[in-house]
Amino acid sequence: MFLAVLSPQSSDDVSPDATLMLQLLRRDVGAFEELYERHSRIVYSLVLRILRQGSTAEEVVQDVFLQLWRNSAHYDVSRPFVPWLLTLARNRALDQLRLKSERQRRREEQTEEFPQIASAAPEYEKALDEKRRAERVRTLIGSLPSAQKKAIELAYFEGLSHSEIAASLKEPLGTVKSWIRNGLLRLKEGLQAS
Amino acid sequence: MNPHDQFRQLIEAYAIGSLDAAERAEVEAHLASGCAECVKALEEARWLVSQLAYLAPNAEPSDMLKGRLLQTVRAEAAGSATRQPAGRGTRVPFWLWAGVAALLLLSVYSAWNEMQLRTTVANLQKQAEAQRAERQKLEQELVAAKTQAHEAMIWSDPKSVKIMLRPKDPKMPQLEAMWHPELGLCVRGWKVPSPGDKRMLQLWLIPKKAGGKPMPSMTLWPDANGTFTAMVENPPDAMSDTQALAITEEPIGGSPQPTSAPMWIGGVS
Repeated sequence: MFLAVLSPQSSDDVSPDATLMLQLLRRDVGAFEELYERHSRIVYSLVLRILRQGSTAEEVVQDVFLQLWRNSAHYDVSRPFVPWLLTLARNRALDQLRLKSERQRRREEQTEEFPQIASAAPEYEKALDEKRRAERVRTLIGSLPSAQKKAIELAYFEGLSHSEIAASLKEPLGTVKSWIRNGLLRLKEGLQAS
Repeated sequence: MNPHDQFRQLIEAYAIGSLDAAERAEVEAHLASGCAECVKALEEARWLVSQLAYLAPNAEPSDMLKGRLLQTVRAEAAGSATRQPAGRGTRVPFWLWAGVAALLLLSVYSAWNEMQLRTTVANLQKQAEAQRAERQKLEQELVAAKTQAHEAMIWSDPKSVKIMLRPKDPKMPQLEAMWHPELGLCVRGWKVPSPGDKRMLQLWLIPKKAGGKPMPSMTLWPDANGTFTAMVENPPDAMSDTQALAITEEPIGGSPQPTSAPMWIGGVS
């Protein structure tokens, strides 16, 4: 198990998602439908968690998948698909959340049309399937102190900055910075150990 | 802690997007400087951050969302397929069609223009030929008119001397000649029978000088009615040196010396 986790991913290994994305270049509706079936639940769950409003969340999910359909050529098949898709969905949802606000402007400066994420997934990415990895993530973050977990959730789901989180939780700025970094490092260590 | 370590500790916060503006700008500047270790760390941090999506409670979108998406996608795919024949690599761009059309039009115009030019040249050649023929005809008429005028002057001028040419054969008609010392000599006849096969008539000037040979002059050929008129502007000998005029029948083209006996002869007084 441990050796399997550390075995490097072949560079020639094109994932089923990447294959489907390539089929979108040929305007393959069947490939699009399969991508939707595979990932619409996690995308919708993430967007709904950020926006907390079903109809608006569906609008954002629709926008995300149409982006896949219309701009599939922008996707680099050498990059892991699901993290890329989740980052795209998160950015879209946060844009919606911060619409017409000052933070929206800052968000737009930071957000790219298609997000750049890991060009090479970490070695432990394939150690668990998606379902088991999701459970592992929940377990690891759930084991953190509630304030630390809250700080991470505010950063990820609300898009707040260190200063905004510190103000929200009434905690020192340095503490918030440590909570977020240490929480992510603990998640990383926990996934590596899986 | 060196600057690199300082930035390395900010990578996870940068990936989740929680850095304040000043720190975010510093990290971005450091990444832009080409720090490979931090770039790699950022890539892994972004992947790690994306896993936080699994913290979201499970939820499922409505079937209507899928229906709307597939309806949109199918419509766009159908539109794309409809446009496909015109959008493939084999599509000929408009400018090329325009160029081909222009070349075709130019070729058609050139062919038409060449045909027009050929027609024009042919017409001009015909006109030139007609003008040349007309000019020749006019020149001939002018020459004939001049000759007629010249002959008329010879026949009417008082200085001219009339010479009657009498036939050796009494059945033959008499011919007449008129010699002007300056304008020349004219001879004419009527009802003159045609010479024999490949033969023609020839005028001779018989000199007064004893032993002088007959001087050959013009050849004559009566028309179908037996009529002929001929003029010698510059006779080979002067009238004062000439004793008589004679006409013989000679081979076609004439002879330097008479080859037959005179058929007509008339003394120059």
